[in-house]
Amino acid sequence: MNVRCRFLVATLAIFALVPGAGRAGGGLKVVATTPDYGALARAIGGDEITLKILAKPTEDPHFVDARPSHIVTLNRADLLIESGADLEIGWLPPLIQGSRNRKVLPGETGRFLGSEGVRLLDVPAVLDRARGDVHAKGNPHFLMNPENSGIVARRLTERFCELDANSCPAYRENLARFTERLEQRILAWTERLAPHKGAQLVTYHNTWKYFAVRFGLRSETFLEPKPGIPPSPPHLGKVIAKMKADGMRVILVEPFQSHKTAQTVAGHTGATVVEVCQFPGGLPGTDDDYFALIDAVVDAIADALGQAAAR
Amino acid sequence: MAVFDLWLWPLLAVVLLPGLLVYFGLHVVGRGVIFVDLALAQMAALGVCVAIVMGEHSGGHPHTYLMSLLFTLLGAALFSWTRFSHPRVPQEAIIGIIYVVSAAAATVVLSRTAEGDEALKSLLLGNILLVSKAEVLRTFALYTVIGFTHYLLRRQFLRNTFREEEARRSGVPLRLWDFLFYATFGLVVTSFVQIMGIYLVFSYLIVPAVCGAVLSGRILTRLIIGWTVALVTGVAGLLMSVEIEALDLPTGPTIVCLFGVTLLLCAGLAWKMKRDQPQPGAT
Repeated sequence: MNVRCRFLVATLAIFALVPGAGRAGGGLKVVATTPDYGALARAIGGDEITLKILAKPTEDPHFVDARPSHIVTLNRADLLIESGADLEIGWLPPLIQGSRNRKVLPGETGRFLGSEGVRLLDVPAVLDRARGDVHAKGNPHFLMNPENSGIVARRLTERFCELDANSCPAYRENLARFTERLEQRILAWTERLAPHKGAQLVTYHNTWKYFAVRFGLRSETFLEPKPGIPPSPPHLGKVIAKMKADGMRVILVEPFQSHKTAQTVAGHTGATVVEVCQFPGGLPGTDDDYFALIDAVVDAIADALGQAAAR
Repeated sequence: MAVFDLWLWPLLAVVLLPGLLVYFGLHVVGRGVIFVDLALAQMAALGVCVAIVMGEHSGGHPHTYLMSLLFTLLGAALFSWTRFSHPRVPQEAIIGIIYVVSAAAATVVLSRTAEGDEALKSLLLGNILLVSKAEVLRTFALYTVIGFTHYLLRRQFLRNTFREEEARRSGVPLRLWDFLFYATFGLVVTSFVQIMGIYLVFSYLIVPAVCGAVLSGRILTRLIIGWTVALVTGVAGLLMSVEIEALDLPTGPTIVCLFGVTLLLCAGLAWKMKRDQPQPGAT
């Protein structure tokens, strides 16, 4: 009895110490599947919205483990923002089913698809699972082209206004500020990467295509043999040969991808492994800030390409 | 109550489904084949992987369920065949080998498909929070049928597990009985794994049975202790995970950890009971 009592007291004490998870905010309850949409929603919504983000920035957005808070959060949401290009297909639908919230069902005003109005790359001509974990609607990592983020921000503002007319002026004001800053930064980013036009990036997954296309780089070589399939020795052998032949010197990896694979390939080719992330918060000092994230990614890639060229 | 609003089906799953697993746990602990559930689950997973690959190549609809059933029955046949086959090879060794080889075979089979990781993960990890009404009802119906079968044949099954010598001497076709045992057990395990995941299956199977075994020698008492332990721990773990929002604990692992705590409590209780009891022959 004594033991059980002490256990109970200890448990209660632990719970009492944990601060509330909720973050103060305004009326519209917004949920973003990934932190990049979270950052855009925060930039437009400011303090007018309450924002919750389901996936952590260092988590693979294709696989997110369901926790009770995810279902509760979705249950209370007024608006759910997702990529719309099947990025979250592996984990979001059962969560929504579990949340029993009609407002965020597909087709409702409370469901925002990031991909609408964006021109997707890599749309498969033929759908065939044998080609790997291909996304039927196209490559879903389109926010890595900052211009697409501008498109999504504009549409998001309209949706916020539709759901919360009272705060509409504030949303539009935030959008104007965001767009202005985005245009300035795009000029700066373009200038920073201009010297490396045509340079090839090797990436683990096909995440950086949009980024590469926008800034005049090339992203055609991947450590994965097919999307979602772990690197096999024969494939890596081909990648190493190709990198040596074409003089590719930079490999991009994200926090949730195999650094060991990238380092092994780098060891054979003399390339540099560069840690990047598609999500704000995934690199130090980029929490909740899309601009800080792209700044960090552009700097890291430009530095690595610069050093490679100098060698 | 908010609990019934969002978590009705997970709660019902935790209340209705583990009962049969606890019963099988008595057998599994009694036979000393502790890891047979993992091996059977892995065989079923291998079946699913084969179905995925076949479906991909033929382009047709993969008969996933049929394949997992087929592989489970194959596993059941292997286990019933190997029970008495060699005096110097313990069955636990065979079970371990089947587990490792089928796990590795699944990885080999899946290395060429995209769905591989996802499929394997969802097969073996499950997620109690996302269980649907249909899953709970379907699984409960299956368990009712299997539970009833075992109730009717309880004398034979219990004798085969707990009085092995007597069963062997009586001349019943023991391998056939064992096949029936492992086949029904395999069905229960593979359907439970898809809802609760492999760690929870193992916990529900072994911890209540061990709690029962340390506290009592009688089968029925053990079963009742096991059911109580499973019910209390499962419901407490689920509530702890979903109701204490500040902690946001993942549900399955929370229940498994609580099972660890429950076992400690049972062991403490057993130790106390033994100490308080007058020791026969101690003087």
